[in-house]
Amino acid sequence: MQCRWPLLGPLRWITYVNKHVKVKAGKDEVLWGWLLTVDPVSASLVLMDFKEDGGASVQVVMGHAVEEVQIQQEADEETTDRLQASFLPPKTCGLDP
Amino acid sequence: SIPTSAVSDADAEQLQKEQHARSVLRERFLRCVLSMTNKNVRFHMHERVKVEATFGASDIDVLNFQVSDLHTPIGVQKEALIRSQDVISFTFDI
Repeated sequence: MQCRWPLLGPLRWITYVNKHVKVKAGKDEVLWGWLLTVDPVSASLVLMDFKEDGGASVQVVMGHAVEEVQIQQEADEETTDRLQASFLPPKTCGLDP
Repeated sequence: SIPTSAVSDADAEQLQKEQHARSVLRERFLRCVLSMTNKNVRFHMHERVKVEATFGASDIDVLNFQVSDLHTPIGVQKEALIRSQDVISFTFDI
């Protein structure tokens, strides 16, 4: 990464969305997951890991602690749909036109 | 007005793209925070400290988290504020 993660800005962060990423955070923490979003205020990453029973675990990595983000894999269509639907209330779509 | 972007005013189209990306990302984040309310959240903090608590709310600039029943190594704190600067990551299940 050329530039520190919190300074990348929305247009760079959004290129990481729907990718499977490896994140180094703090001194010795390494996390993996599908990147759902990056909070543009705190630069925090939201990673999701889907379980076989239909549930998911969500990890939020604080932007200030992020040392490095590496893209490992692109999401297929099913995973993308699952990611996008994760926190939407039923029968409501996003505000995005 | 205060510039909130690294993109210069001259490039209005670029600015609009950036603002659109910002709004998409922020909306998803806010929905995620909303879904955490009353959930058991595990915080990973500096020096390998791990604590669990029931998530309440975050302030708008994500500087503090309000939690209940914070399980610390020296006992349970009924209500607490956690400074986000002290947190590396946190996890919950949906």
